Amino acid sequence: MSERPTPSPDAMIFLDGVSKRYPGQEKAAVSELSMEIKRGEFVVLVGPSGCGKTTTLRMINRLVEPTQGRIFIDGKDVTHADVDRLRRGIGYVIQQIGLLPHLTIADNIALVPKMLGVKKSERRQRAEELLEMVGLDPATYAGRYPRQLSGGQQQRVGVARALAADPPVMLMDEPFGAVDPIARKKLQMEFLRLQGRIHKTIVMVTHDIDEALRLGDRIAIFDPGSRLAQFDTPLAILSNPADDFVRDFVGSGAPVRRLSLLKVSDVIASSASDAPGTLNAIPVDAGETVHRALELVLTARAEGIEVCVPGGGSRYLDLQALLTAAAQPTKVLS
Amino acid sequence: MSTVAIEEASVPGTRRSTIWVLPLVVLVLLGGVWAYVSSLTLDSIETRTLAPEVVLTALWQHVQLVITSTLLTIAIGVPLGVLLTRPGTRRAGAIVLAAANASQAVPSIGVLVVLAMVFGVGFWMAVVALVLYALLPVLRNTMVGIRQVDPALIDAGRGMGLSPREVLYTVELPLAVPVMLAGIRVALILNVGVATLAAFTNAGGLGSVISSGISLNRMPVLIVGSALTIALALTVDWLAGLAERVLHPRGI
Repeated sequence: MSERPTPSPDAMIFLDGVSKRYPGQEKAAVSELSMEIKRGEFVVLVGPSGCGKTTTLRMINRLVEPTQGRIFIDGKDVTHADVDRLRRGIGYVIQQIGLLPHLTIADNIALVPKMLGVKKSERRQRAEELLEMVGLDPATYAGRYPRQLSGGQQQRVGVARALAADPPVMLMDEPFGAVDPIARKKLQMEFLRLQGRIHKTIVMVTHDIDEALRLGDRIAIFDPGSRLAQFDTPLAILSNPADDFVRDFVGSGAPVRRLSLLKVSDVIASSASDAPGTLNAIPVDAGETVHRALELVLTARAEGIEVCVPGGGSRYLDLQALLTAAAQPTKVLS
Repeated sequence: MSTVAIEEASVPGTRRSTIWVLPLVVLVLLGGVWAYVSSLTLDSIETRTLAPEVVLTALWQHVQLVITSTLLTIAIGVPLGVLLTRPGTRRAGAIVLAAANASQAVPSIGVLVVLAMVFGVGFWMAVVALVLYALLPVLRNTMVGIRQVDPALIDAGRGMGLSPREVLYTVELPLAVPVMLAGIRVALILNVGVATLAAFTNAGGLGSVISSGISLNRMPVLIVGSALTIALALTVDWLAGLAERVLHPRGI
């Protein structure tokens, strides 16, 4: 009998053969799932409805108790730990937001710190800091009640509340699903910026592959049979879909979508020339995305790009070479 | 906090503009009865039964009956209602609710008489009957109030790490308060009316004034008893409305 696997040192969340079978149901909602999520990583679980992504999420803070398998958080086996203490160390954001309507915004945010015995003045200060962090003016909003805020504002408070006890892990169940499309995109971008500062380990559920590609460091795609079809970076999923289901799920726009995930530096190695030739090229930073580079080229009616390389000097790519390079997944990724 | 205006919850009959209507009606009613009785020359029976200490004693007994029975109803109905909304008590909840429904369906005079026959007469017997009768609205509204709390709020609470008890006290009960208060208000009003029947089991109250008015065939006595009961019911309802407004959680 082989030894049971243990999480690697840099794993924040580790699921070891986790299953959930609801009583009276023939098929398991989640079966024998193993996943390792690293410290500071933003992982998005995505898939069609009924694929077990929400069940997986809710097993991490044990709102759903797994019927089999083990869950590790920060190296500790929490499969049988005290649930309330476990959950106080995990931020939780849901689509319905779930702010308590009879408490002010500040009191909503300070709920978990209050349960943890933080002093009132400190709670208040923390709530104001967090409001500031999610882009809401504390002086205006701290004393309001949830129903006086728009949906987008409420979800900002939802995020602030999840961060109140400064948990290392955050679970988000379709957090932007109930927000209108324009506010949603703005929230997503702001959230990415926020994550850039706070570096939480985040697991998020969505059914929207675009949202997953935009936000996730890695994406776990579940197929309708509750199987983990692919768990990889957005670029790898777009470039090398593991099977037909993933290819279908990602949709037809994959080559174009890759453009905004590929960096100029990724493609330059494969096909740049040193000679400027007669090229009408515009300068582009190597860190820009190919999408942005193409946009610049088209806007300027140029014929190619000029990229400064670290070793000194410039390399050139014409439009054709840029597109060809961007369309060659295996070469780029190897 | 103070800069934000929260709309006042509109409990019927207690809007700021209409809040003084009910006490005014009560005063007019009492004034009218007073004027009517003063205009009569009372015979010795009427003088005796309408003596201030007799009437005030009856009123005080009535108030005691109502307050005691309502407090007991709340003390039994609210915890029972909470218990019956906990997971695993679904079947028990259905049974208890059916029983409470049945006890409400039985005519109150019947309950009083049966209890009196079994357990004897007196103040506490009347209280038991009143509690049985008024339990349903308190129990049912407690259950309904808790069950109508948005499951997402409970999920959010549990997900944040609140224990079931903390969820009950910080989420479920505060949000159920308006519905529970409405049930308690109904129980109070019911008790004021049903307590008049307590006179038949020797527990006193305004019912004794009314029944002596009937049995002695003295219209002024009957009218004073009835008018005081009505005035008491209206006053209690008004006070309950005020309490509802004060206790209604802000923000919802």
